[in-house]
Amino acid sequence: MELNFVHKPSGHCENGVVSNLLRFYGVEMSEAMVFGLGSGLFFSHMPFYKMHGMAITSFRPLPGDIFSRVVKLLGIKMKRFKFRDKDKAMSKLDEVLLKGIPVGILVGVYHLPYFPKEYRFHFNAHNICVIGKEGDQYIVSDPVVVDKCRLSSNELKLVRFASGTYPPKGRMYYISDFKGIKPVNEGMVRKAILKNCNRMLKIPLPMFGVEGIRYLAKRMRKWVSFFGEKKAALNLAQVIRMLEEIGTGGAGFRFMYAAFLQEASIMLNEPRLNILSAELTAIGDQWRDFSYNAARLFKKRDAEVATYDQLADKLMVIADREEKLFRELEKVIRDAQ
Amino acid sequence: MKIKEVPQDGVILESSGVRDVCYAVDENGNYTQVISVGWEPKNDAINFAWEAINEECEQIKAEVNAGTLSPLAYHMHRLVMTPAILADYSGFSKREIKKFCEPGFFSKLKYDDLLKLADALKIGVEQLISVD
Repeated sequence: MELNFVHKPSGHCENGVVSNLLRFYGVEMSEAMVFGLGSGLFFSHMPFYKMHGMAITSFRPLPGDIFSRVVKLLGIKMKRFKFRDKDKAMSKLDEVLLKGIPVGILVGVYHLPYFPKEYRFHFNAHNICVIGKEGDQYIVSDPVVVDKCRLSSNELKLVRFASGTYPPKGRMYYISDFKGIKPVNEGMVRKAILKNCNRMLKIPLPMFGVEGIRYLAKRMRKWVSFFGEKKAALNLAQVIRMLEEIGTGGAGFRFMYAAFLQEASIMLNEPRLNILSAELTAIGDQWRDFSYNAARLFKKRDAEVATYDQLADKLMVIADREEKLFRELEKVIRDAQ
Repeated sequence: MKIKEVPQDGVILESSGVRDVCYAVDENGNYTQVISVGWEPKNDAINFAWEAINEECEQIKAEVNAGTLSPLAYHMHRLVMTPAILADYSGFSKREIKKFCEPGFFSKLKYDDLLKLADALKIGVEQLISVD
């Protein structure tokens, strides 16, 4: 059996699953709007939380946060499960699926057969949607793949219970009640934007938000003396990999949020949001520029490569621009209220 | 990023179904989605990480041949497994996995244990016991 589920690829797996699930229930919402409503634009650099022995740098919130926030705003009820027993996890999936309900699941990508081998690290926060089952094969909608994919039950079990940082533990979720769903309105968009500004400007810890970008810059200047040349270069490569995290165009989601601001500008009839969107696009381009220069450093391509100090300087400029942008964004939204 | 700037550096992704959906602006500054088959800095970053892993594997291989590490150490590194992760997949403890990286302990492993390790690594036992 296969549900009448439209598989639309997207830039980011969590946004994509949310958007595709909503469409199944008759709500058409762009990925950018999902991202915006989920207050998804973020930054964090966490040296204490490691993947492959190196700090995690993230450009969006904790996995699951975007989904939770959108569902809460829209008044949708969801059911979430986590399992210790792998077989129970699979039979619960089957039970829900056979009722005609598409199921979002968290998987690790290390054993995903359709991922290129170069991508198969122990990354465990990947979201896909199970939309059918034929014999022993599950039909899945993975937003980062152009077409639908198939996984055998053993393959699915393996990825649902992958090991490593933040193991998925068979997590699954589905919309249990959408009767109370509210259409997207101005109030929701404002609330979501203010929350995003808050997250970027007001977390009182140095590793998060705009301060987090400065924190990364500060640490980057010391990488060579802390870790030596080789490990410093690997750290930099890890930042770039996390910046890109499948389809952000190298801008760490800045372009996606700029697209959201364009939609918000129309919805709120607020042209200033369009101007801020353009500014955020320019900031996204600066992130791309940072990445191009970083890649040249660890590849030692030219004699004229930037140093870690110069890369850190670029980050400081980006941090200042993002701070200014979020303060203006906050002001525009508060002014209009 | 403008539509015409969307990268199409496909060296890693082109032979798979995975694609990057990017957001780029048209001539009027309006955002639209554009599919990308990859981006050079990210390809470089991924390849750089793998090159480092491969170099470390060669060093471990030399140690295996010198008798200071077991073939398990080599395969773990090649397959980016840590003792903690392999412990989780195989059912052994982290402490046991670390001990098995020593040639003395590894050579005493029964076939059933080797099979458990090999299965967790998704390789054959014959592959596990050698570095060729």
